Amino acid sequence: MATTTATITIASTDLLSDELALTSTATLTLAGNSTGVTQASGLSRKTIVGDPAKPQIVYRAGDYTAGGANKVYIKNTSTTAAEYFTVQIDQEVIGRLYAGDWMFMPWIATSGTKETFVVTATLGSGAVAIGDSWDFDGVTTVSADATLNNFSAAINAKTYPNWTTTVSGAAVTFTARYAGAAGVVTAEDAITGDTLVDLAGSNLTMPITSGAVGTRSESDISMLPSVVTAMTYETMLIHE
Amino acid sequence: MATTTAAVTLTSDLLSDNMSVSASTTCMKAGTTADGLDQMEYVLVEIPTGDEYDLIATTPTASKGSKLYVKNHSTDETYYIAITQNSQAIGRLYAGDWMFIPADFHDAAGDIAITSVGGTNKIEYALFHEGTVLKATD
Repeated sequence: MATTTATITIASTDLLSDELALTSTATLTLAGNSTGVTQASGLSRKTIVGDPAKPQIVYRAGDYTAGGANKVYIKNTSTTAAEYFTVQIDQEVIGRLYAGDWMFMPWIATSGTKETFVVTATLGSGAVAIGDSWDFDGVTTVSADATLNNFSAAINAKTYPNWTTTVSGAAVTFTARYAGAAGVVTAEDAITGDTLVDLAGSNLTMPITSGAVGTRSESDISMLPSVVTAMTYETMLIHE
Repeated sequence: MATTTAAVTLTSDLLSDNMSVSASTTCMKAGTTADGLDQMEYVLVEIPTGDEYDLIATTPTASKGSKLYVKNHSTDETYYIAITQNSQAIGRLYAGDWMFIPADFHDAAGDIAITSVGGTNKIEYALFHEGTVLKATD
């Protein structure tokens, strides 16, 4: 079992009448047991040229286990007093990390739900024509033969920037990579943003046979730089 | 000027190479590099299971350089405290865990609140700040 520890030392010789020397070490475990945490994002360092009006997401809740014993470490590496990051969780401001400051906090990682829908290749008559195509999320799939299920399999084999897929027969299930109301599924039987090309008049359609609108994440961690010039931060996530 | 330093060391053998990350900061007033935080409150309190309590009774000056340290002294691994701010869930401090965050206290709703789960949790916290608005006597 891996052992991960976090030690803090807070010290001052002149804040109080007596010396302050506080030290605490936590061995980081999974929620509710003594098993050591098993995953970490590793230490990362990023320089951003910020827009002080636009928070940048550091960690998306949907990528991690909710309700666990996750821990987040963030450091502002700046040495300029006026440069700080405003750290937020969802819409709530936690505080400002001034030059050289660091923070270490638990993270609930409560996500929303991912939008999902099933699109089923359907023929009104005849067969799929070689060259029929369907475009969605900027990715175009072109039928290579006249077999309907092969067309669906080809759709599933593509890599979509904002969706993951699975296939069963002619039905392809799309699931958003991130939680949120992406606006693609407008009802259980409606989808926006796709384009169908039916070359040979086979009446090929790609109806949505089921779907569910997503809900936004509720605890993404984001940071807002105080200045537009380059600022650098370091982060690490230890999670379940 | 008071000088208070906060240092952290994270170590792990979780990765292929041993990890050791260290950082240290001198707790300064907002926007300065020469004027340290010079006020603090330091509390050890037992929180019974159930109700949510504001951790900080007074209201530190908003948007300053305040730093908050919280430790859960519980030893039962199933016990934890749920940390919220303005009804926003932040995370859980399990037995033995600690946290150290900048505390914004942007308004009266920005209080840090805790709920004890599993049993009575003994909580230690220290707030380093640059001024509070004390509550007037009832």
